[in-house]
Amino acid sequence: MRIRCPSCGERDNGEFSYLGDAAPLRPDGMEASAEAMHDYVYLRDNRAGEMRELWYHGAGCRAWLVVTRDTRTHAIREVQPARDVAKARATTPAGSASHA
Amino acid sequence: MAEHATLWRPRGAWADTARPGRHGRREGPPGLIVTPREGLALASVTAVDGAEARLAEAIEARFGLSLPEPGGAHLSGEAGLVWSGPDQWLALGGARGDLDGLGAALRGAAAVADQSDGRAVLRLTGPDARRVLEKGVAVDLHPRAFGPGRTAVTAIAHIGVQIWQRDDRPTYDLAVARSFAGSLWTWLEAAAAEFGCEVRASA
Amino acid sequence: MLDRRPNFAPSPAEGGGLVGSQPFRTAAGGLIDRRRARDFTFDGRRLSGFHGDTLASALLANGVRLVGRSFKYHRPRGILSAGSEEPNALVELRSGARREPNTRATMAELYEGLEATSQNRWPSLAVDALSVNALLSPVFAAGFYYKTFMWPAAFWEALYEPLIRRAAGLGRAADAPDPDTYEHIHAHCDVLVIGGGPAGLSAALAAGRSGARVILVDEDFSLGGRLLAERREIDGLSGPEWVEQAVAELKNLPEVRCLSRTTLFGVYDHGAYGAVERVSDHLGVPPAHTPRQRLWRIVARRAVLAAGAIERPHVFGGNDRPGVMLAGAVRTYLNRYGVLPGHSPAVFTSSDDGWRTVADIAAAGGRVAAVVDSRSEVPVALRRMAESAGAQVVAGGQVIGTRGHLALSGIAVRDSYGGTLHIPCDTLAMANGWNPVVHLDSHLSRRPVWSEDIHGFVPGTLPSGMVAAGAASGRLTLSEALESGARLGAEAAESCDFTATAPATPRTDPESTAHTPLWRVAKPKGKAFVDFQNDVAASDVELAHREGFRAVEHLKRYTTLGMATDQGKTSNLAGLSIMAELTGQPIPAVGTTVFRPPFTPVAIGAFAGHHRAKEFRATRHVPSHAWATENNVQFLETGLWLRPAYFPRAGETDWLQTVIREVETVRSKVGLCDVSTFGKIDIQGRDALAFIERVCANPFGTLKVGRSRYALLLREDGFVLDDGTVSRLSETHFIMTASTANAARVMQHLEFCRQWLWPELDVQMSSVSEQWAQYAVAGPRARDVLKRIVDPGFDLSNEAFPFLGAAEITVGGGIPARLFRISFSGELAYEIAVPAAYGDAAWRAIMGAGLPYGICPYGAEALSVMRIEKGHAAGAEINGQTTARDLALGGMLAKKKDYVGRLMKERPALTDPDRPILVGVRPVDPSQRLRAGAHFLAVGAEPSLAADEGTMTSVAYSPSLGHWIGLGLIRRGHERHGERVRAYDPVRGGDVEVEICNAAFVDPAGERMHG
Repeated sequence: MRIRCPSCGERDNGEFSYLGDAAPLRPDGMEASAEAMHDYVYLRDNRAGEMRELWYHGAGCRAWLVVTRDTRTHAIREVQPARDVAKARATTPAGSASHA
Repeated sequence: MAEHATLWRPRGAWADTARPGRHGRREGPPGLIVTPREGLALASVTAVDGAEARLAEAIEARFGLSLPEPGGAHLSGEAGLVWSGPDQWLALGGARGDLDGLGAALRGAAAVADQSDGRAVLRLTGPDARRVLEKGVAVDLHPRAFGPGRTAVTAIAHIGVQIWQRDDRPTYDLAVARSFAGSLWTWLEAAAAEFGCEVRASA
Repeated sequence: MLDRRPNFAPSPAEGGGLVGSQPFRTAAGGLIDRRRARDFTFDGRRLSGFHGDTLASALLANGVRLVGRSFKYHRPRGILSAGSEEPNALVELRSGARREPNTRATMAELYEGLEATSQNRWPSLAVDALSVNALLSPVFAAGFYYKTFMWPAAFWEALYEPLIRRAAGLGRAADAPDPDTYEHIHAHCDVLVIGGGPAGLSAALAAGRSGARVILVDEDFSLGGRLLAERREIDGLSGPEWVEQAVAELKNLPEVRCLSRTTLFGVYDHGAYGAVERVSDHLGVPPAHTPRQRLWRIVARRAVLAAGAIERPHVFGGNDRPGVMLAGAVRTYLNRYGVLPGHSPAVFTSSDDGWRTVADIAAAGGRVAAVVDSRSEVPVALRRMAESAGAQVVAGGQVIGTRGHLALSGIAVRDSYGGTLHIPCDTLAMANGWNPVVHLDSHLSRRPVWSEDIHGFVPGTLPSGMVAAGAASGRLTLSEALESGARLGAEAAESCDFTATAPATPRTDPESTAHTPLWRVAKPKGKAFVDFQNDVAASDVELAHREGFRAVEHLKRYTTLGMATDQGKTSNLAGLSIMAELTGQPIPAVGTTVFRPPFTPVAIGAFAGHHRAKEFRATRHVPSHAWATENNVQFLETGLWLRPAYFPRAGETDWLQTVIREVETVRSKVGLCDVSTFGKIDIQGRDALAFIERVCANPFGTLKVGRSRYALLLREDGFVLDDGTVSRLSETHFIMTASTANAARVMQHLEFCRQWLWPELDVQMSSVSEQWAQYAVAGPRARDVLKRIVDPGFDLSNEAFPFLGAAEITVGGGIPARLFRISFSGELAYEIAVPAAYGDAAWRAIMGAGLPYGICPYGAEALSVMRIEKGHAAGAEINGQTTARDLALGGMLAKKKDYVGRLMKERPALTDPDRPILVGVRPVDPSQRLRAGAHFLAVGAEPSLAADEGTMTSVAYSPSLGHWIGLGLIRRGHERHGERVRAYDPVRGGDVEVEICNAAFVDPAGERMHG
């Protein structure tokens, strides 16, 4: 598999490590409930189809990436720097989590 | 203390490995010429969010160079900046101490950490330099895809490396974490053996 | 008979000389170099061939037809094919450390001195004791292993497995380390052309002329594919002449790389391909500085699959007898190698193209015994041509059986009236149509589709960026190969933004692909093989059908059809067609299994490349490495690091003796230890402290500039990730350390937190692990030693630089350094960091400065002993299954801040009071030794899983206490100090009564390190 790192260009998947679904958001702060944290840590959908995933370009620029990949075909539609996605999320009220 | 002062000499990262002389194939001119680059000044420069313009200005003032784009290496002689990650660069100076004061100069715009001894650097040139590197680097180094002023952070033989091309002879600088220098050298010596490799005295 | 073959060499009886020793070599012709004789041995027999031969062609030239024994029944087998699809002619090549089993004789190039040995036979190839298996063949039918070696389970290891292993297997691996080298290489191109036959060469030319970067790979040692094997004409040139011209042009195109002897073995996602180049396999010993094989990882924007097609055998009784060959292979041996495999060959065909074999033999001056065409209508011209070659023609006939012991001597033919003819012959050429090589395009789980035009599977939906040309796409004629290759090569270059035009298709001589496949003959005489390599017969497919294993995937696994190393290249379709017939379905409805990489077997050495023996993985050296090697160090591998373990002195005979001396020196005087392997992370920014607060479980709000603090990191699921220290160098500048083993993992975790969880924080991070050499100077005289190292002006007194102080200082007259008052040993201790280039100098300077105080270097072993004496948890305790409370660190957990792992560490299972808790243990009888891994049991309890109360995680002989001590995790350990339990170690026969105690064995109040 080849992943097009937004900074480094297309690289072999051996340079990356996989974390998993990028959808769960950490319930930050002292008000976060144990239930919400449990779901964040453990609950995952096992989707056959397009999925947004977190990958780490550990053997390259050390950027965390959000990779939009079809789990059936490995077709990769989009790769974004996770930090940019996270920053956009923080400024979008719907996606934001409360901070302590 | 004074009695020990004479003992505090730096030891090169390649002191035990890249021995000057001919390695591999002996016949004909060497396909690869290696020069260990000891005593450089290196520093990681990490931009502060929102201070990129100030950083670019400060870099321009100090190096006379613009801040490289991703994958870029802006060099002026031995000095310069090599992109090394999002919002991160490796600053280069030709001699230990050349980057002294960089942290203060960039304060508020970037964090600076000395890496002068953290990376061991080799200069690679010769007619077969690219063919040697192709054995380890999965990045396309063909002139249509790479060239002078380009850099890649990648791995050779499972060892993290950074490569930047200096000219189109071609000449490359290859940086590796210091503790891996021995293993990287073993790989390089094996990869270059078929072309013949000449190691020059460190510079 | 010989006198009727004027073109052939005299038999050995008639004349000596080199050719005379090769009775099946034609007098002229072929692409071999007859001036360069090549002597070789087969089973010790000295034989001779020519440069340009394969082992197979040289064996056939010498009349060697029996080449191996089959896998299951040990039936005599010969050479079936002339290519990589060969299922039978597998030999051991070379000897000694270079012995390589299962080498296809059809792919092995002949070189001077080649040694080949037949395999899977005992005591000799001609007399094989295990061929009795053939007599037992009814019991060895499909599913035999499943049915027979099922019960009782205990018999497996003792009886069945050794039995099966002795009887099965093909060839022996070398029993000495491979003396040769292997390497990897990466390549990138616009257009990858897979296969160097007419289609591939046309594609490479069309793409290459546009200036595109082209890589052409072919598994053969000569480019040209079938053009080297057939008598064809292209624009008035012979096939080999046209190839020579094409290759010459390709080699002049600067951006075209032609790789022969290179098998493209795997197709991977997004345009990645794997190929193996046999750089030196055609030589006895690789030349100096040259690898035996080179593994190519190719990334291509477009690929043209031009891998050709593989001819189909017929399925009839005794079709595995040496001498029965594919017709295309017979033509290859004749036209390319100048070898006619038999003196009286016959042809069994179901297609017009099988008749080419007759024409080629006749053209070479040979005689054909018979042509059996399963079709009743045979074109008159073909019949006339055959009859003029002396052949008996049987139209509408089928070969139903063969005769001969170790080689073919005749065939039984059922004619169109149902009568049986016996025809003497020593070679039978089978032509039953061609299967496109669909292996590579199905590597990404894309199934081939059925084509009625060629009665075979052709590529279905191809992987993105790939197109198929020529025979690989089902276009079986030469003109179609040239046309499609050139057109698709040009299109591939165009789609990479080059301007390319396909040249006009050259003129070729006419050809016919008329073909009516004969999937199997009815009522064969004897075993009719489908899969030669795995000995699967038509009757096994019938058995699978009867027993209900009818789906293709079941058929494959039940009969092992297509599961040998040839992946069923010659057998797959035959098996499917029989199942189709039995189930009354069309073949496409039965379906097909898909193929996986590698296309042909690849040596593990090629995958390993540089990474073998000492280079299996990288080795990291510490800054004091040079001094250590000069001073008799014993190293220890910790992850990739080579760490000094201990430093034996003259007269010390035992590692424990050395370690005890090192510990005693540190506890009584002073020692020096290289701790550079710890991870060091530079953290800066306005929010650096806030960031550290969120990633560490203990509070840092009160950490002052110039101070260090222990740092505990949890995973989000509540378990401990790692521990280290955080030192504050300025308001916005911190250094975090991580353990040697976890350094990379911690950095990745921190990057995750910074980039993904809290991108709004102003934090800049950089690993400075490699920049700093860091040494622990520990022991009561540590301050005295350091006073002689740090530059004047820095006050080392306890008041000015107390326990957990951190400072940026200079040493050696202005060299920047960092000093931390951190103690892992529990003694008065410092860690001093200097730029790594000065690491060697600093080590020597400290050793010199410490001489008057009796300093000694100590290694990882003494370090470990001292941390156990102090009860510090390390890797054995921070094992991914322990919480802060388990490690007796619960008290330091912050209560007023959010941090990673805060909520999940409170899960009921992690707060269960019955969880094992870290304790110290000491043997009740101080003379007894403790062992890590022992299980704790109540005294008197029967060992059982239910009685298990925990485990001993770390042990050491404590020089300070004079007996063995241990750390362990035991249920409710914190409440049980003073209690006695058993440390039960059945693996090593240990059973020691121990007393649970405080984990801090030495100086529990920690007074020494504060001094």
